[in-house]
Amino acid sequence: MKFLKVDMSTKSVNVEDVPQEYMGLGGRGLTSIMINAEVPATCDPLGPENKLIVAPGVLSGTSLVNTSRVSIGAKSPLTGTIKESNAGGTVAAALGHLGITAIIFENQAPDGELYIFRIDENGDASLITAQEYKGMGTYALSEKLLETYGEKSSVLCIGPAGEQKLTAASIQTTDVDGRPCRAAGRGGLGAVMGSKGLKAIVVDQRGKSADAIADPEAFKEAAKAFAKAVKEHPFTGQMLPALGTAGMVAPVNSMGAFPTLNATQGVMEGWEKISGEALAKVIQERGGNPSHMGCAQCIVHCSNEFVDKAGKYVTSSLEYETIWSMGGMTGIDDFDTIAQLDRLCDDIGVDTMDTGVAVAVAMDAGYKNFGDGEAAIEMVEEIGKGTEFGKILGNGAAAIGKHFNHKRVPVVKGQAIAAYDPRAMQGNAVTYATSPMGADHTAGNVVGEYMSRALDPLKPEGQVEASRNTQIAMASVDCTGLCLLASFALTTPEGAEAFLKAMNAKFGTQMGPDDIPALGIRVLKEELDFNRRAGFTAADDRLPQFFYEEALPPHNKVVLISDEEMDSTFDF
Amino acid sequence: MKVRVKLFGILGQRFPGYHHEQGMEVEIPDGARVKDLLAHLEILKSFGGVVAVEGKLLAEDARLENGAEVNIFQSVFGG
Repeated sequence: MKFLKVDMSTKSVNVEDVPQEYMGLGGRGLTSIMINAEVPATCDPLGPENKLIVAPGVLSGTSLVNTSRVSIGAKSPLTGTIKESNAGGTVAAALGHLGITAIIFENQAPDGELYIFRIDENGDASLITAQEYKGMGTYALSEKLLETYGEKSSVLCIGPAGEQKLTAASIQTTDVDGRPCRAAGRGGLGAVMGSKGLKAIVVDQRGKSADAIADPEAFKEAAKAFAKAVKEHPFTGQMLPALGTAGMVAPVNSMGAFPTLNATQGVMEGWEKISGEALAKVIQERGGNPSHMGCAQCIVHCSNEFVDKAGKYVTSSLEYETIWSMGGMTGIDDFDTIAQLDRLCDDIGVDTMDTGVAVAVAMDAGYKNFGDGEAAIEMVEEIGKGTEFGKILGNGAAAIGKHFNHKRVPVVKGQAIAAYDPRAMQGNAVTYATSPMGADHTAGNVVGEYMSRALDPLKPEGQVEASRNTQIAMASVDCTGLCLLASFALTTPEGAEAFLKAMNAKFGTQMGPDDIPALGIRVLKEELDFNRRAGFTAADDRLPQFFYEEALPPHNKVVLISDEEMDSTFDF
Repeated sequence: MKVRVKLFGILGQRFPGYHHEQGMEVEIPDGARVKDLLAHLEILKSFGGVVAVEGKLLAEDARLENGAEVNIFQSVFGG
């Protein structure tokens, strides 16, 4: 249990025991509580007062399956709110193996200086000059870093977008094969990393100084039971391994909730061309891998390796959200173009979601035609080249909307929505509007409630409560390192019981089922407090006006949640 | 009556010879409900069979109409 505190202005690295007030916290809980306590809420997100915090979940690095999420937190330059964005890959487990609770980057290197932060297998850390990597894409950079520091290393890094401090810049991280294809994409945290003068973090995976587990035998037993629950759940044990998250294309289109052509339609014409079923078939025919292990400790294997017609690797993993943003929103219905756009975004280091929505807004504004794949590729390439237009696009959908003075810009608090239209899934309208993170599906996706027919997606009744409950649940899960997808095994009694036992065995506690949501409520309260002090009010918890005025076919609904109902979301 | 069924997720693998592009025609009694169709196809509730027609998720008791284009997929939770 230690913090590595890195002062980027003095280049000093201090190792500290975790202070009492942060004991027992990890992941989003730690990043958000620390930011609220230590970062001035009104500070410039790209200035020296902001902190960039990298924190594995409390269970990362243990033998519990699918616990390889790393949370990255800061004040967001995209939304101006507190931000946590988490990613998979291998770095969370690597930090867990070293007993590192968090790395905290403070202040800034002088303009023009660029560094790598390296942690070796003994946990010894240092800043190394990285001028030779300036402007480098994440793929070439990761290859060089793994050559230099060994294949058993995990990399977190930024591309040219992060160095340019563009507000849709991502932080990319390497998968089990050493490719920088996993992303903490949302909220422009790559720009915060760039503002610190930090190009990459390299962590040796061979650490052997993990924090102790209070009751190792009980933990082992609980871990076994949880793995069984993940394997036996139809979603995590069958559908995700076969189709990955792309399997969502069919159900969401079948519900009329797939935001299409910049959210003007709820069903994409020809969506079956870019469905999960079609993707698995194409990958199989070309000799790629439709069921790939992307993250350490993963038994779901929702990842894929997309290859071109010659069987050459293009990108991993082609996910539902990217297929939507680069496909549904833009009207591009071929996988080769979408995969190329995904690869470009990963390499340049920008969020595929905000970037895809930005491209769609530009097309809707008449800059290019919907469905023009070549134009989309050229637009995204401009971000990497640092052209004037590329800078606007790389600042995300809100920036491109302002540039074109366009009326239809699907963002909340400056962040693009996800692949669920709030007019056809009214609960996700609540989540987009009220999440402390800006529009964010991972903050509380209500789609599962609709699938189980517990709730009618088109009616306002029950949506606030459903959003509240999922937001609390996700704020809890995001503290643990558990992958959102594997967390759906918690919806079974066996999975929930096993997970609680694992937590208690890890900490030597006697937590009950209510203690886990209590943690989520605590985290949300801290995040809301930061946002309030940063100047956000209830008036910011609203969707763009067009969602209340333009009816979405085929259901022809608008958002029906009243302002009063929105404002009751966090009545706890 | 007859309905045209398309199966998503891994549901298609349960029916030898199923071609995803065409889907399959299924004969069920007139006035059959969603739950009757799922029972006919032996898709258990525990497997998460969800039925949508014309962009709407249907409840188990909803009646199907002759000639309906029916999408059946597994329950999903997010992506």
